[in-house]
Amino acid sequence: MATATPNADEVLVDCRSVWKVFGNRAPEAMKAIADRGLGKTEVLKEFGCVVGVSDATLQVRRGEIFCIMGLSGSGKSTLIRMLNRLIEPSGGQVFVKGREIGKLGATELRELRAKHIAMVFQSVALLPHRTVLENAAFGLEVQGVPKADRNRTAEAALTKVGLGDWMQRYPGELSGGMQQRVGLARALAADPEIILMDEPFSALDPLIRRQLQDEFRQLTKDLGKSAVFITHDLDEAIRIGDRIAIMKDGVIIQVGTAEEIILDPADAYVAEFVAGISRLHLIKAHSVMVPVDDWRAERPGTDIAGLTGTSPEADLDALIDLTLDTEGEGLAVHDGGSVVGVVTPRSLLLGVKGAQTTESARH
Amino acid sequence: MDTSDIADAFDSAVDEALIWVSDHGAFLFDAIRGVFEGFYDGVLDLLTLPHWVVIAVVFGLLGWRLLGLVPGLLTALGLAVCWSMGLWPETMSTFALVITSTCLALLFGLPLGVLAGLMPKLDHAVEPLLDLIQTLPPYIYLLPAIALLGFGPATALLATLIVAMPPAIRLTSLGIRRTPKEFVELGQATGMTGAQMFLKIRLPFAMPSIMAGINQSLMMAFGMVVIAGIVGSGGLGETIYEAIRTLDIAKSIDAAIAIVILTMVIDRLTQSLVPAAKGKP
Repeated sequence: MATATPNADEVLVDCRSVWKVFGNRAPEAMKAIADRGLGKTEVLKEFGCVVGVSDATLQVRRGEIFCIMGLSGSGKSTLIRMLNRLIEPSGGQVFVKGREIGKLGATELRELRAKHIAMVFQSVALLPHRTVLENAAFGLEVQGVPKADRNRTAEAALTKVGLGDWMQRYPGELSGGMQQRVGLARALAADPEIILMDEPFSALDPLIRRQLQDEFRQLTKDLGKSAVFITHDLDEAIRIGDRIAIMKDGVIIQVGTAEEIILDPADAYVAEFVAGISRLHLIKAHSVMVPVDDWRAERPGTDIAGLTGTSPEADLDALIDLTLDTEGEGLAVHDGGSVVGVVTPRSLLLGVKGAQTTESARH
Repeated sequence: MDTSDIADAFDSAVDEALIWVSDHGAFLFDAIRGVFEGFYDGVLDLLTLPHWVVIAVVFGLLGWRLLGLVPGLLTALGLAVCWSMGLWPETMSTFALVITSTCLALLFGLPLGVLAGLMPKLDHAVEPLLDLIQTLPPYIYLLPAIALLGFGPATALLATLIVAMPPAIRLTSLGIRRTPKEFVELGQATGMTGAQMFLKIRLPFAMPSIMAGINQSLMMAFGMVVIAGIVGSGGLGETIYEAIRTLDIAKSIDAAIAIVILTMVIDRLTQSLVPAAKGKP
């Protein structure tokens, strides 16, 4: 069970060992899990209940894009719906901006959903009989914002997502990618701190999808929003997320940055997933360098000052280019004026293969 | 005990119950009769006080606006045919009966349908009752109606009301229940109140189904209003009933033609409201 973090004001969404058990006898099943430590299969056999999410703990910080990656049935959609209580958790607590949402009254919960935590759906859910502008202004309309004000805000949001010329059209006239932009504009119009994205780009074709991924990341960072982003695609998670949680069978198996997950998969399942991912832009010099002393010990006669320099954040792609251009025995990694390690051709090749050369990437 | 005794006892119990109800509830049934006939007379005045050409033109224009030029012309022409057969007053009183009974049916049916749509338990309770109403031959409803309200339009209205209500309840409930799940989630995630969810999400999505229910109710009312000619409802139903008794084949066919014309006019006009309610593309 997680305890309060030291910089609690920075954590916007705090999900503490949250469970969801589906079925008529869910409370009994939940009790049996707590008392007797029943597993998923036993719960199904004994109570006829399905464990959707089990013991999920995660924290989303201000300004962070947090991806939850899992295949269908992994419980990711259930988990994201517990963050705004569209689904009531069977156990555990969820704190949004420091307030436990399970304890909020109906009015407070509505207020929270309306102003602080917006949601974008895979199905987009645009109202077919309303214009794009009216759809984008929908959240504000629900809050009772006067028409002129909400239209102004919605226009600004639509302009941000590049749909300034489409405001008077109907959703049926828009392509799938454009409809999803309207969905995003609708979420942004309410100016929430947190945006929940439930597989928003899954139904789009690959090119549009990649474009929207980049735009979404840019927009979220520019506006300083936090986002929880659900996806079944690890490439998407890596492209968009600052941190990634990998879910399987309702359990969060691993949480970390893309680099951490690729270099140090928590189990065979994750390892299999990351096997096909190109490492060139994900692994940085600090993960593949060897310690200076080791390097010196192997090559007593060589002077470290003669090596070409690079930074700890340089990725494998850049390091390969540098190595090809240089005559020396390696690349010196400079950090704050001193040499912290050396990337040798051998350590570089190990990095490309995915093996770790130092402990520095492990936290 | 002989089975026929049980049946006799049952029959006399029903008779006594009916007498008791009509004795003790007389003021109630008089009131119902007053309201029904008042409503009916009002609608009938609206349709019969203007010259028949005015009515034909008004419906022709309505048809033109809702359906187009040709259907509009056909509507006016159809009504002119009714007049030319010398059946104008009968056609209009049948029309008034249909409008009145359908309005009454919707007055009860739509709210009940909405409630049933929102509360699955109520829906389960109402469903078998609606099945029963729709399975029994419609004549049945004339009997209690005539016993309690007497001979005349009020009886026809009550019987028609019962027959016309089920489709409105069913299709309204269905429409409200079938709100797409993603839109319910959207409403919740946006922080809607229950009333907002109903007015902004559930009702708009249910509209086509509700309009189809209204159209079905009208059609049921038409069928019943003609049958109700037996209890002195007036209008084309009574014309046909009289024609059958006197074996006046020609007259019954005239009246049947008038009924078909009126049915088609109303059916087309109300069906055209279904996509209109859905809004622009």
